[in-house]
Amino acid sequence: MSGARALLEVRDLAQHFGGLKAVDQVTLSIRAGEIAALIGPNGAGKTTFFNVLTGVYPGTRGEIFFDGSPIRGRPAHEIVARGIARTFQNIRLFSDMSALENVMVGRHARSSEFLLGPLLRTAAFRREEADIEARAKELLAFVGLKALGNERARNLAYGAQRRLEVARALASEPKLLILDEPTAGMNPTESADLVALVRRVRERGVTVLLIEHQMRVVMDVSDRVFVFDYGVKIAEGAPREVTANPRVIEAYLGQEAA
Amino acid sequence: MKGLLHSRRTQWVLLAAALSLPFLARALEFSFLTRVGGVVGLLMLLSLGLNVTLGYVGLFDLGFIAFYAVGAYATAILMRAHVAAPLAVLLAVALTVLIRFLLGLTILRLRGDYLAVVTMGFGEIARLTFNNLDALTNGPKGLQVRPWRPLAFLGAWKPLEFVRKESNVQFYFLIVAAVFLAAEASRRLEDSRVGRAWVAIREDEVAARLSGIPVREYKLLAFTLSAVFAGLAGALFALWDQFVTPESFIFWESILLVAIVVLGGMGSIAGVLLGALILGGIPLLMEATLSPQWIDYRYLFFGVILVLMTLFRPQGLLPSARREAELSS
Amino acid sequence: MLTQQIVNGLALGAIYALIALGYTLVYGILAMINFAHSEVLMLGSFAALGLAAFAPAAFGTGPLALAGLFAAGMLAAGALNAFIERFAYRPLRAVSRLAPLISAIGVSIILQNAVFLWVSDQSVAFPQPIAIRQIPLFGGAQISSLQAVTLAAALILMALLHFVVEKTRIGKAMRACADDLEAAGLMGVDADVVIAATFFIGGALGGAAGVLYSMSYGSTKYNLGFLPGAKAFTAAVLGGIGNVRGAVLGGFILGFLEVLAAGYIPNGAQWRDVIAFSVLILVLLVRPSGLLGEKLAEKV
Repeated sequence: MSGARALLEVRDLAQHFGGLKAVDQVTLSIRAGEIAALIGPNGAGKTTFFNVLTGVYPGTRGEIFFDGSPIRGRPAHEIVARGIARTFQNIRLFSDMSALENVMVGRHARSSEFLLGPLLRTAAFRREEADIEARAKELLAFVGLKALGNERARNLAYGAQRRLEVARALASEPKLLILDEPTAGMNPTESADLVALVRRVRERGVTVLLIEHQMRVVMDVSDRVFVFDYGVKIAEGAPREVTANPRVIEAYLGQEAA
Repeated sequence: MKGLLHSRRTQWVLLAAALSLPFLARALEFSFLTRVGGVVGLLMLLSLGLNVTLGYVGLFDLGFIAFYAVGAYATAILMRAHVAAPLAVLLAVALTVLIRFLLGLTILRLRGDYLAVVTMGFGEIARLTFNNLDALTNGPKGLQVRPWRPLAFLGAWKPLEFVRKESNVQFYFLIVAAVFLAAEASRRLEDSRVGRAWVAIREDEVAARLSGIPVREYKLLAFTLSAVFAGLAGALFALWDQFVTPESFIFWESILLVAIVVLGGMGSIAGVLLGALILGGIPLLMEATLSPQWIDYRYLFFGVILVLMTLFRPQGLLPSARREAELSS
Repeated sequence: MLTQQIVNGLALGAIYALIALGYTLVYGILAMINFAHSEVLMLGSFAALGLAAFAPAAFGTGPLALAGLFAAGMLAAGALNAFIERFAYRPLRAVSRLAPLISAIGVSIILQNAVFLWVSDQSVAFPQPIAIRQIPLFGGAQISSLQAVTLAAALILMALLHFVVEKTRIGKAMRACADDLEAAGLMGVDADVVIAATFFIGGALGGAAGVLYSMSYGSTKYNLGFLPGAKAFTAAVLGGIGNVRGAVLGGFILGFLEVLAAGYIPNGAQWRDVIAFSVLILVLLVRPSGLLGEKLAEKV
């Protein structure tokens, strides 16, 4: 781990939709090399926060620094090029493409051959294409889908689809990987496998930020936890500290009572 | 089957078969066949163009024929201004590309069916403008184009002597060459980072953007590139027919192209070519072969075929095959 | 002059609005462009014509004739539209979004050619059940009896549609399906029935428009539906496709645009379609979901 250098710095971030403050006054920082979890009741603004980080929404106010440069409001594809990749709460694969092609698409930001290369099949193009394919295969193997590369994404089992999303995101060689509920809908064995995968992702030197609902997974995998409620961050700290925090307990109990 | 369809050898066999059509027509004394071949070839060229936008990227374009019209009219007008034919073709294609680029720049942020209706509107605007702009286009009466015999030199070789006088055959060869090049260019783009980006956008635009693809630029690229095919087809059409009227560019033609791409198989080069062969060739062949009492029924038959094909092969005749990678390495 | 144009625009717009409703109702539920709708309205007009030819004594002139023409046109067009849905669209519903569109194009070709081959390849005179008179209005403008009937019929049908959609069980089910077809199915709504009903209602409105359109031209033809169909579709999109009020608004706007372009712009008659389509494009560039369409938020 590379110590306490902040990879991502968020200052006073807000995303409002009309009168709705989906995210408000969020300040936090993610250290390079850590696995951080974002938790909170449904509707707490976690996914919206991810969407602002990754350029889906522009954000209403505040700043986001990634690796030292401001990224709030930058186009999504540019943010990917700078080193943030993500997965989705509801799996979004390119369902008619093969698993391998899905991962190859993920390398878009790290490749450059444009019209003439492909049309003339230049040496540079062939080299890059071979490299894209080799890396995609390596990533498929990394997430445990080595044999399924030729399957169309839509034909893969649910757990395999989640892994494929991770492989596609990793293909852009992110410094920060953002996972939106990676274990949603998984049984305990699948969840455990995914946790192991997240650890191995970190071992590759990738920082991880994830939204997670299963507390067992959060306690198990994360170095630090941020808690959102009604769009604001109400707590942060080590997993044990946070779960003992009265405000956090209230937020969760309040939801259950409702 | 799939392997056979996409192998390189099949491609050359098909090209050879296509090139032999005029000789077959000559042997059968059925010269209309070459004409049918040329018309179907132009349709293939147009369909390959629409396949880039609709097939790969999923941009629903209901006015594609407008760019065929731009290519044809630009060529006709340049030819009348005594520009050399090859240069006229080049300029016409460039103009078609430019106009489509500018249109794409303004309308591509529209989604789905809204894009469809705007392109339909543009198609009608273009047709009506050609129809009404008498000074430039001679209105509904159309423009005559001076003759051009591109491959007359082939006649110097004895076995091809008959080609010297037959403009149908000459243009047929040109069109076959253009279709071959267009298919090859499509294949190369499809099988590259650019093609993958296009299909990714079609499959899930948001996920594509968040995988690092500049979606707006890639849409515009596909939209613009497809005009090369349309402009070239229009130019060849104008030079071949030597006559251009607005009637050739009605809404129905745009619809036919959409039907070809969807029924052939979205994003499938082989499917689109087959679709053009079937949907373009059937009415023409019926026209040539049906007995007089049935000839008026040809469009009715065509409609029935369209419905039945859709009901039985809704995914297209030859859905695009995803590339098979060697995984055991 | 302007008041006269407004009257003309209203009458033309009313016809477009009725047709646009057929597009928008279907689109609202299936997100599908029913390309055969223009032929449905054409066949509505031929059905009415057939009734008049079958019993010229009863359905030649007079209010009964008028009612008969409407009933025949609407019933036939509604039934035909539901029939098309059952056999050409329903099998494709789950397959892909574009397949039903292509099958609709095929149906459209079949219907046009069936009439072309077996009824007439020429224009056919359409009965004129009411005497044509000019009724003076304020400001020197006039409204013809035909325009008055058109407006009245359109308003009655729109009110009826409003009642059906808002107050009846089937209307409630239609709204539920338009909201979320799958969810409505899970709640026990029989989606097949609702979709069939929607096609029937949309087709019937188109049939009424077909009767009105052929009455105003005094004739009908196998390709009568294409032009008003394409324009009404444009109107539906202009208003925000899927939105019932939007379809009516779009229809009237398009009617006005055409009449005003023809009346005030030099060579306007020649350019009016260009103007109509240009306005459509401009409106959509400013409001990408049409005038009353909901802005679709991207869900991530």
